[in-house]
Amino acid sequence: MTALSVTGLAKTFREKSGDVHALGPVSFDVPQGSFLCVLGPTGCGKTTLLRTIAGLEVPDSGSVDLMFRADGRQPVVGYVFQQGALFPWMSIHDNVEFPLRARGNIDRITRRMRVGAILEMVGLSDFSSSYPHQLSGGMQQRAALARSLVMQPDILLLDEPFSSLDTRTSQDLQENLRNTWKEAATTVVFVTHNIEEAVYLAGEVVVLGHRPGRIVRRQTIDLTDPRSRLSREFTNYLVSLRRTFKELVEEPE
Amino acid sequence: MKNRLPGLVIPLLLLLWWALNTGGGRDTLLPSPVEVFSILAHPFQDQISTGSLVWSMTVSLVRITLGFSLAALIGIPIGLVMGASRHVRKYLSLMIEMARPLSAIALLPLSIILFKSETLSQFLGISYLRYQKHLFNEIQIGMIFILFWGGVFPIILGTIQGVRSVRKLHLEAAQVLGARKTFVFRYVMIPSALPDIFHGLKLGIGRCWMVIIAAEMLPGTNSGIGYLIRYSYQLSRYDIMLACLVIVAIIGAFFSKGLEALGEKSLVLRSRER
Repeated sequence: MTALSVTGLAKTFREKSGDVHALGPVSFDVPQGSFLCVLGPTGCGKTTLLRTIAGLEVPDSGSVDLMFRADGRQPVVGYVFQQGALFPWMSIHDNVEFPLRARGNIDRITRRMRVGAILEMVGLSDFSSSYPHQLSGGMQQRAALARSLVMQPDILLLDEPFSSLDTRTSQDLQENLRNTWKEAATTVVFVTHNIEEAVYLAGEVVVLGHRPGRIVRRQTIDLTDPRSRLSREFTNYLVSLRRTFKELVEEPE
Repeated sequence: MKNRLPGLVIPLLLLLWWALNTGGGRDTLLPSPVEVFSILAHPFQDQISTGSLVWSMTVSLVRITLGFSLAALIGIPIGLVMGASRHVRKYLSLMIEMARPLSAIALLPLSIILFKSETLSQFLGISYLRYQKHLFNEIQIGMIFILFWGGVFPIILGTIQGVRSVRKLHLEAAQVLGARKTFVFRYVMIPSALPDIFHGLKLGIGRCWMVIIAAEMLPGTNSGIGYLIRYSYQLSRYDIMLACLVIVAIIGAFFSKGLEALGEKSLVLRSRER
């Protein structure tokens, strides 16, 4: 089953200094329950792609099709920004509760239980009454992740959520995310420019080339869990993707 | 060591005042600090048959409370709507820019034409109060109108500024989390705008306080701290006049510091964002 289907998606930003052809056209399908990484150098349009899928940008052409839920309702899409985008005037609990209140059809007790459970899962139970600025960058990103997961999304979109964190924290959160994905059985689209991160997380990697963003390579990552960054297979994927990347960067525009 | 210099400013000014007053042995109309403080030390004593200092203060405070509350109750919603909708802003902004420079004091004659000298007790139809000494007899509707005028524009402009400075990232976050427009307005835009709204309120109450004191000094008024300033001057009671100025200054500072403190928490939360 295809959870998300992108067909001929293209986007051009019209700026005063001239048009910027940011994306596409690109087409790809994401099977339900899979973990897709969109990998590409800075400025290749990968954020634009993700924003268009989330409905934050209107594409010039092409379409995004989301599979309806089993009960026939609109699918729920979660989105995690590069910088948490937590609301600074709300406690962590209130931030995570926000999407449940916004949707308005969930009673208070259920809301409290779901928020409690999700905070427990990301290890922030002790910080539910803290404000975002009192938390470290890594904890803020975990709270942002919790805020999306609490909606029980059918598709979770993540835009370089760990790129501003140090390596150690970032690797912890990667492990955390992969485990969460396996438990929650949602479809994940994860955008990154970090090759190692992509190989560690993804079931499939889509490499996006320079402006305008277009798919230059699709690579299935066939590794057994738990994934080790030191294994030979891991390194092979890494080297191979790095080569593709190098050609991309050196390619004359 | 903590910097204690700011605390020295007021004692130094008092010293200067005292020196001006006694220095050189020349005649001066300026009363000494001691005379002024002896007035301030008896706040409940009747002063030149206008009532006590507390009474005059209360009259002014009730007037400003009514006028300022009205300005806030009307100004904040107008600002919110103007901030959120470009269309409304387009229609109203020219009007507001025309109305804003009209000083509230300049509107005093107009307010007398519009509201005559109607007081709150007449307005509320409780005319039996008329011949008693009651607070409501001292609250002129026209005075409330000009206070409203003085306070409303900074409040509107502050609120617009606040709503317009909501971060795009927060709006997008709310959108992808499934919030509808009204929900976003209530739970994202208003909290985001709060520091600027408080700033507008602070400027507004400062303007109101200036307006009320000036308005009370105009002919036709017979109560309030501004009135007492003018009346004590006419009777050459400069000690009372200066005591009133001290009270005006203290209350004014209290207003702005109070609103600043109220707005502080929202400002801290907004600015601490990484």
